[in-house]
Amino acid sequence: MSTSEIDKDELGRLLARSGHRLTPTQIEAILPGAAIFRRMVERVNAPLPREAEPALVFDVEQGR
Amino acid sequence: MSILTIAEAASQIAARKLSPVELAEAQLERIRRLDPAIDSFLLVTGERALADARAAEARQMAGTLRGKLDGIPIAHKDIYGTAGIRTTAHSKLLEHNVPTRDAHTVKKWADAGTVMLGKLATHEFAFGGPSFDLPWPPARNPWNREHFTAGSSSGTGAAIAAGLILGGTGSDTGGSIRGPAALCGIAGIKPTYGLSSRTGILPLAFTLDHAGPMAWTAEDCALLLQGMAGHDPEDPASVDRPVADFTAELGKVVKGLRIGVVRHFYETDHRASDATRAGIEGALDFFRREGAEVRDITLSPAADYHAVGYLLMVTEAYALHAPWLRERFTDYGELFRDRVALAATVSGPDIVQAMRRRRVLCLEMAAAMENLDILVSASQAGEAPRIADVPKWANMEKPSFTMPFNVTGFPAISICTGYGEGGLPVAVQLAGKPFGEPTLFRAAHAYEAAMPWRKRRPSMCG
Repeated sequence: MSTSEIDKDELGRLLARSGHRLTPTQIEAILPGAAIFRRMVERVNAPLPREAEPALVFDVEQGR
Repeated sequence: MSILTIAEAASQIAARKLSPVELAEAQLERIRRLDPAIDSFLLVTGERALADARAAEARQMAGTLRGKLDGIPIAHKDIYGTAGIRTTAHSKLLEHNVPTRDAHTVKKWADAGTVMLGKLATHEFAFGGPSFDLPWPPARNPWNREHFTAGSSSGTGAAIAAGLILGGTGSDTGGSIRGPAALCGIAGIKPTYGLSSRTGILPLAFTLDHAGPMAWTAEDCALLLQGMAGHDPEDPASVDRPVADFTAELGKVVKGLRIGVVRHFYETDHRASDATRAGIEGALDFFRREGAEVRDITLSPAADYHAVGYLLMVTEAYALHAPWLRERFTDYGELFRDRVALAATVSGPDIVQAMRRRRVLCLEMAAAMENLDILVSASQAGEAPRIADVPKWANMEKPSFTMPFNVTGFPAISICTGYGEGGLPVAVQLAGKPFGEPTLFRAAHAYEAAMPWRKRRPSMCG
């Protein structure tokens, strides 16, 4: 399985870890979105320069 | 009574040629006649509207009108808190919620003399839609009721296009003002982050939420934003700086404006329809003819902006909704609960990485705009799809054109550029520098005034 894939068991474990008691049908309904979302998370995690600061306090004029 | 813009109605009210009471009564009659086909209203506040209108008319007669919004019929997206009036977020979870105070922006519009006609359909908590498993049906597109309005300010978009209201409130976390504006063929602006208060509006994602107006024209949006913007100490994101005159540049020429076209967003990153691309090219031709300087620019892929925005949006929403999602999962509609539950799959470092990348993207866009006044891209990929055919994960599968400006907080407006093969509207998105709304209104108004699109209403309007 590539890192961008997620199966029903893993998704069920992650949801349970967050306190959700969902039925297998409910978990299955989320699964296609979870696969797309995982690709987004991978994209967000592409390497950044070590000094790149987070936008912790969001300021629309930051950098100006 | 013909359908008026806010600017037209304000002019007639000021000249005592139009009665605010008669205008309100005409709008209520239109709602009674047309809204059953498009379900844009969750609640019509007829008595309140007539009381507001009588007060406006008294000021009209006394020569004490409060400005251009006095006597103008509007309505609010049903995430805007309204004192003593049900505010549901289109959700079973808040089906009986009655706030005790108005949202800051609701009060500002009321103080300006607007006439409140009611509360408008939204996607559940401004995110889950179009949904058919909620206590109320989704709004329908007045251009063809079998088609989608986009969301989440779906009722506002539909009601304005159908001429039921002259303007209304929307909120925009990833495109929820500009999407419905585009698919319903109206104008809608997401202002600069912090320009208008979110106090009293049910939040979706704090660092991405924007409150803004929607109307038939950019000029009307300028008038509405004037009545909405301003510092609010209760909103930690609210900026404390003088509010610009948003009508100051209306009517000025666009000659000399420097326009950057983010062509790769809508040609390669997420290819828009032929009609949408033709509409954008038509707008660019107009700006060139009028003497603007137009050139292509390159930013990070739209997918980079979309990934950052989407991750932050669902995790911030999850932080708000987790307790109810654990205890009342099935009280939410399927779309909202399944989308927001995705946040349970991310880690703390993922969120920090998103915040780090967000700053990189903000700096990139600021640098790109250093020698530009306006960015141009698509607003939506094409005409409205059939509402029954909108895929459950549609807002994730392809990168959004609107999310980049939620991620950076820069202002952006969607305006109509004509109609596609299906007879439904297409649109262009213009974005500006932070607090550059007057320039956005200038460009949008110049384009609208030169084109025939504002003369055409949906056939249901009669």
